[in-house]
Amino acid sequence: MRPDLLTHTVQNNMPIRKAGKLQDFFADNNRFILVLLLPVVLFFLVLNALPTMWMVGMSFRDYSLISATKTAEFIGLDNFVYLLSSNSVWNSLSKTFTFVFFGVLIETVIGVLLGFLFWHSTEMTGRRLALTLLFSPMILAPIAAANYFKLMLSPNFGVINYIISLFNNGKPIEILSSVDYAFWACLFVDIWMWTPFMLLMTLAALGSVPKAELEAADVDRLTWPQKFKHIILPHGKFIMMLGILLRTIDSFKTMDLVWGMTTGGPGNSTELLGIGLYRVAFSSLNLGRASAYALITLLIAVAFTSIFLFILNRKNIEEGLSK
Amino acid sequence: MLWLISILFFLPVLWIVLSSFKTKQDILAWPPKFIFQPTLQGFVDLFKRPIFITAFTNSIVISLTSIVIAIIISYFASYAFSRLQPKLTGFMMFILLSIRMVPGAATMIPVFMMYTALGWKSTHYGMILFYTMFSIPFSVWIIKGFLDSVSTKFDETALVNGAGRLNTMFKVILPQVKAGIVAAFIFNIIFVWNEFLFGFILGGNKVQTMPVALATETYTSAGVDWNYVATMSVINLVPLLILLFFFQKHLLVGMTFGTVRDEI
Repeated sequence: MRPDLLTHTVQNNMPIRKAGKLQDFFADNNRFILVLLLPVVLFFLVLNALPTMWMVGMSFRDYSLISATKTAEFIGLDNFVYLLSSNSVWNSLSKTFTFVFFGVLIETVIGVLLGFLFWHSTEMTGRRLALTLLFSPMILAPIAAANYFKLMLSPNFGVINYIISLFNNGKPIEILSSVDYAFWACLFVDIWMWTPFMLLMTLAALGSVPKAELEAADVDRLTWPQKFKHIILPHGKFIMMLGILLRTIDSFKTMDLVWGMTTGGPGNSTELLGIGLYRVAFSSLNLGRASAYALITLLIAVAFTSIFLFILNRKNIEEGLSK
Repeated sequence: MLWLISILFFLPVLWIVLSSFKTKQDILAWPPKFIFQPTLQGFVDLFKRPIFITAFTNSIVISLTSIVIAIIISYFASYAFSRLQPKLTGFMMFILLSIRMVPGAATMIPVFMMYTALGWKSTHYGMILFYTMFSIPFSVWIIKGFLDSVSTKFDETALVNGAGRLNTMFKVILPQVKAGIVAAFIFNIIFVWNEFLFGFILGGNKVQTMPVALATETYTSAGVDWNYVATMSVINLVPLLILLFFFQKHLLVGMTFGTVRDEI
């Protein structure tokens, strides 16, 4: 068939919409892309790029809201030198990494174990309700959880402390006001909130294991460890890694919860990065120094993102090869 | 057994819910009361406080408006990224993601300085703009994931048949990524609805959302008003709990950036 004839048939058979002005305007590829991306780019420039650049500039200046002179004098790397030589930044960094490490580790272990329990439970009565209850810690506002755990852990009125007192000769203990326990109490609440997330990821990972392979394994009488190593792990690996990474990044960002529970105290025993930053910015009102602090945190976060995308891309490449 | 685990995790939440039906004396009783005479007085008192209506309306207006705007904008952007693939697509996706990976306090410093300079602090539009930006990155990632799995044949067929670009985008492709749109909505509403720090720093009295009001209005002349904390927490939780019950699957999709889409 001749090309022009083909067009002719198509046009005759299909209802033709009269091209409007807007239609003509969007016919150009680049113009269409520009219009589609304009809102995002605008939002990004105004609410992100601009303030961030401002912050970078500020981090090299001496700018404090309470200083007498508001000239914002250029002081080079002084802010960074000050921060990196002060104990508080290193304290926050080590607190944060301890928090992330133990938090993610324990959440993953418990989450995976519980995930295996919930596997194949699709027949369970009221599963949807059970899962809703199970995931409820995740959707409770962190600030609400913090407030309420403060009450529950209180040595005078708290139900958790009451239970502790039953095992401690009727004596409740100071938790959130104790330098030794406050950090671990925050970690405990974090674990309570986010273990369901790891459970969710485990369920998703297990769901991605093909049933046929599992049945074949049963026929071949593979032992549990063998089944795990040769079938479950290769299929579920990626989703689990994704889960752990997401949790790591999120845990690194923890702020509302600990802020609500202890505001970083007592002393600086629960002063995670975000809280340290907050204290520099809004207690001492030294915005130059706070900007430098924020810049350091930002760089760590960008590094995390790169690792995240690296893993995501590798997965795509592997899939592309196997197809 | 599985129920037992679920309930174990639910216990602290249950304790808050129970407390919201207690009298002030019962909440602070020692030893704690597990059995008590339930009362609605806590809720009645809460509804009488002017802050409640303000915070509740603010929460709804701010979170819904910003997420709806964010999702529309994100659909535009992810359509462009997925279908037309302009240069720098990969780079832009990276930038978007890294925005959300940065700890809140680090983002807050520059935004705070800018909002102060521009006078956007304590305004509704300031809050909405901020939360829109806050919701865009994940929305783009989730929706793009869904768009990528819809074959480009649909676009081609529609275009050949003279549907025009806008019609293709909204009438042909949009219905096919409905699940992704819902996932993005559910996921973001959980974050925005519960967000405290930015609301606290950037918002003032008039634009307090519920989480902010929860932290700032707790102290009365008689010390901490635990009735208020309990009832407010419960009211803040209930809408999300209902969403979670009906849209469980979508939550999972959102939490994994749309990479996992199977039933669990």
